[in-house]
Amino acid sequence: MAEQMLTVAGPGEPPPRQAVVRCRALTKRYGTLTAVDNVTFSLEPGTVTGVLGPNGAGKTTTLRLLLGLAEPTAGEALVFGRRYRELDQPARQVGAVLESTDFHPGRNGRDHLGALALAAGFPLARVEEVLEQVELTGAARRRVRTYSLGMRQRLGLAAALLGNPQLLILDEPANGLDPAGVRWLRLFLQKLAAQGRTVLVSSHVLAEVAQTVDQVLIIDRGHLLARGRLDELTGNGQTLEDVYLELTGGEVA
Amino acid sequence: MIGQLRSELLKQRSTQTALYLFLAMFGLVALAITLHVVTLGAGDLASRARQLEVFQVGSRAGMLFAGLAGAIAITAEIRYGTIRPTFLITPRRGPVIAAKLAISGLVGLVFGLLAEGLMVGDAAAAFAVRGIGNQLTSGDYLQLLAGGAAAAALWAAAGVGVGALVRNQVGALVGLCAWMFVIESTFESFLPSVGRLLPGGAGLALAGNSDELSAGVAALLLVLYAAVAAAGGWRATLRRDIA
Repeated sequence: MAEQMLTVAGPGEPPPRQAVVRCRALTKRYGTLTAVDNVTFSLEPGTVTGVLGPNGAGKTTTLRLLLGLAEPTAGEALVFGRRYRELDQPARQVGAVLESTDFHPGRNGRDHLGALALAAGFPLARVEEVLEQVELTGAARRRVRTYSLGMRQRLGLAAALLGNPQLLILDEPANGLDPAGVRWLRLFLQKLAAQGRTVLVSSHVLAEVAQTVDQVLIIDRGHLLARGRLDELTGNGQTLEDVYLELTGGEVA
Repeated sequence: MIGQLRSELLKQRSTQTALYLFLAMFGLVALAITLHVVTLGAGDLASRARQLEVFQVGSRAGMLFAGLAGAIAITAEIRYGTIRPTFLITPRRGPVIAAKLAISGLVGLVFGLLAEGLMVGDAAAAFAVRGIGNQLTSGDYLQLLAGGAAAAALWAAAGVGVGALVRNQVGALVGLCAWMFVIESTFESFLPSVGRLLPGGAGLALAGNSDELSAGVAALLLVLYAAVAAAGGWRATLRRDIA
């Protein structure tokens, strides 16, 4: 049984004190639909964690709850020990990208970042630095409607990096990227992780996750089914895909 | 808060939305004034009161387009999803809405001034072409510009509130247009005692286009409408989940 190899989620174990992210009995209901059901986990500093699960499993909802965009029905979702909305300087502590399409098509990349930087009280010089970091300086004056998907993903990342945060939360950052874009993203995330940042990234591209993260959370139908280090989960010769499909039922919805 | 205001101003400046709104307003005012001056008989246009009524189009256009600009300031963020990065950067949402109200009010003020200016210029030219004497006093012009600008600024703040409540951009914009051109004009025709108290009617009184209300009462009513709409939008934005 796969369960024997896994640390199965349970509310019983005490979370480590220094947890960067901590969800406790996190639950979100929309009418009769329970999108996130009693999910408990915590992430230690410097870890790169993949949230895996089929479409509609509750991955994005969990991230939205963590980021204060939605309110939990029950339980709590904390970053750096506090609710996201109660952080003193959220943009300096957490950088997040939820959708790769969150741009006004008629606004250029530099102004998109500029509006966010001004709101956070960052100097506009910071915009040029993050543009450089994601290699978009040359396209900064173009309207976002002319950007490729890969460029939009990078612009989203640039916004998340404005405050040079210690925690990055990215929802499906590899979605729709071509192989070159996926590789760029992987190397970029590895670089950020090597700087000691904590990264939480959701995905359903298993092969990509297996190359990037060191631990995974597997979510299906709102439930946290398993969590553990990648090498523990795949320890008995199973691939991540085997473990994932066994846990999530493996049927095409 | 200064940062929020600068951010909101940059958002307004960095798209062409305001420019297109202005062009649409320009077209509407020019069309309306041409139709009025061409079709109305010279005798109909001779009195000061009738001329002020013709100038209503400028005040109406200023209020409507200011309201649209205010509604777009929030609904464009919802439509294009920039509301997510906006609230990730500023998770306490109150200051974001406050900055939108302030900057949209400013944009609305400019729309009001431009609309009245266009109207005054167009109408003066049209009167001159038809040889109709311009009966408006300098006091009338002052009230058109100052009152029209103030009414438009308040409509813009109300537009932010309506946009935040409705959230769907098409719904909010169609709703505001229908309010101005269908609901208000219906009341004006059939229940003028109520119509003069509505946001458009009060705006016309504030700009001096109608004498159905004193300017002071009109201003008070408009402030009240803007405050109610803004408070509703504020409350909805603070409480609702972002998809």
